Amino acid sequence: MNELVEVPRDWLDSMGDVVRFGARVVGRVAGLQVLRYTGETLRQAGILIVSSTLVIWGLVFIIGLQCGIEGAYFNQSVGTPAYSGVFAAWCDLRELVPLCFGYMMAAKVGTGIVAELGSMRISDEIDALEVMGISGITFLCATRLLAALVVLPFVYLCSIGAGFLASYLAVVQQIGDVSSGGFFLIFWQFQNPPDVLFSLIKAMAMAVLVVLVGCYYGYNASGGPVGVGTATAKSMVINIVGVHLISMLGTQIFWGNNPRAPIGG
Amino acid sequence: MEGATDELDSRNRAGSVLGSSTTSDGDSVRPSGRPDAIRFVGVHKSFGRNKILAGLDMGLPEGMVSMILGPSGTGKSVCIKHMVGLLYPDSGDVLVHGHSVPNMPDRELFEMRKKFGLLFQDGALFGSMNLYDNVAFPLRQHTEKGEDEIEHIVMRRLTEVGLANAREKMPNELSGGMRKRAGFARALVLEPDIVLFDEPDSGLDPVRTALLGELIRQIHAEMLAEAQAAGKTRMPTFAVVTHDVMSARRVADYINVLWRGRIVGAGPAEVMLSSEDPFIHQFLTGDADGPLAMD
Repeated sequence: MNELVEVPRDWLDSMGDVVRFGARVVGRVAGLQVLRYTGETLRQAGILIVSSTLVIWGLVFIIGLQCGIEGAYFNQSVGTPAYSGVFAAWCDLRELVPLCFGYMMAAKVGTGIVAELGSMRISDEIDALEVMGISGITFLCATRLLAALVVLPFVYLCSIGAGFLASYLAVVQQIGDVSSGGFFLIFWQFQNPPDVLFSLIKAMAMAVLVVLVGCYYGYNASGGPVGVGTATAKSMVINIVGVHLISMLGTQIFWGNNPRAPIGG
Repeated sequence: MEGATDELDSRNRAGSVLGSSTTSDGDSVRPSGRPDAIRFVGVHKSFGRNKILAGLDMGLPEGMVSMILGPSGTGKSVCIKHMVGLLYPDSGDVLVHGHSVPNMPDRELFEMRKKFGLLFQDGALFGSMNLYDNVAFPLRQHTEKGEDEIEHIVMRRLTEVGLANAREKMPNELSGGMRKRAGFARALVLEPDIVLFDEPDSGLDPVRTALLGELIRQIHAEMLAEAQAAGKTRMPTFAVVTHDVMSARRVADYINVLWRGRIVGAGPAEVMLSSEDPFIHQFLTGDADGPLAMD
């Protein structure tokens, strides 16, 4: 019985630590201390662009194809092939592009941060930084968060474009039950600029979560290489759960009360 | 073993650690006549049930190469982490140039750390930077020097440690000894008042250990001469943590012998190395017979 209570208690403790740590990192960005390390921020931004952008776009492109194909065949089966654009607009923009972005952030960026910072921790590199009079939290974590905030909105907006392009190719060019003009008529009717903003907010919330969780588990890793592996696995679990929670809450908040669906007048 | 612990307790009560007085500016003074650059005052530290430091009183005299000698697992590296504020004592105090490290606010602590250079066991070089950038890193972060001046300083330090030809190499391309020497160069680059060495001989063969020891002495002598010529108020202090008695014989001006989280003896190297005290004698000669046992 005690074990049953202890496990969730440990998780809650751990979440409390993550939140406190995250608040410190956000404080270093909001308090502009991070600007002392602009060079490192730019380096991290470069790493994000070079190592993660194509992977994210590739995954989102494939999901866009799937959305388009399934939407097209479903509408074909109920005799409304012209409405395939609804799936491209909603499925891509509101749900799957943010989710895929969150997954790839967790799998590629989050685990990368844990592994890198964890290795630095166990090889005394973080202690070496601190002894040089440089705050590890600011230099290693706040710079990564700022780099993510600077780079990822653009990466994400392009991801939306990749998803839309894939859905268009699947619906119009591959299956071809609807013309290009017919597809875009419905496609644009079922979305508007605030939807893009809301989608971006969802994705950025996921990105911030992934970076902060990754920094926490990497920065506080212990127990040698095994400890770093365990920390990486833990961060992945928390990030995936968090990404889904953010996705669900975002949909409820942004579209739950007003789905903005021009159906039935 | 119980008897050995009792004896240690009585030695501590009787003030076995060589006594010290205090200067007008708060720095305590060793029998060597020099003030302590770093002083531990009744420091206790535990990790869970493991008691690591048990009322440690220790001083490292300014301007000397001091050794903290002791068997493995006796708290030597923990001492170093207390000196630079990476760990805080459960009770007691750690003073650096008379200022209490545990009571420093973060901003002051980061400033204080600039007085230190620390050579970690494996060098702790940043894996994402080459050797040159590793050594240049503290200068780029803490000074307004131009790249030409930085290159001059970095190459001077790399030449001193014999790594001038390896400037472009990444840390994973270096041997253990080279990483240590590179860490040494990085520790010196800001010309710190205090340089700490955490087991500089670990993982090195005897010849390279001897060469590193010579390098430590040589660079200390150079820094001391420079500080005296420049009329600096603080003389360079080196502190070496090790369990290698040969290194102590070669390098130390002053020796602290640490066991079970306390000092069992401290004093000038020549006094300690000829000590008849059974604890110190056994440890420094490596005898199996004596108060120290396997546990």
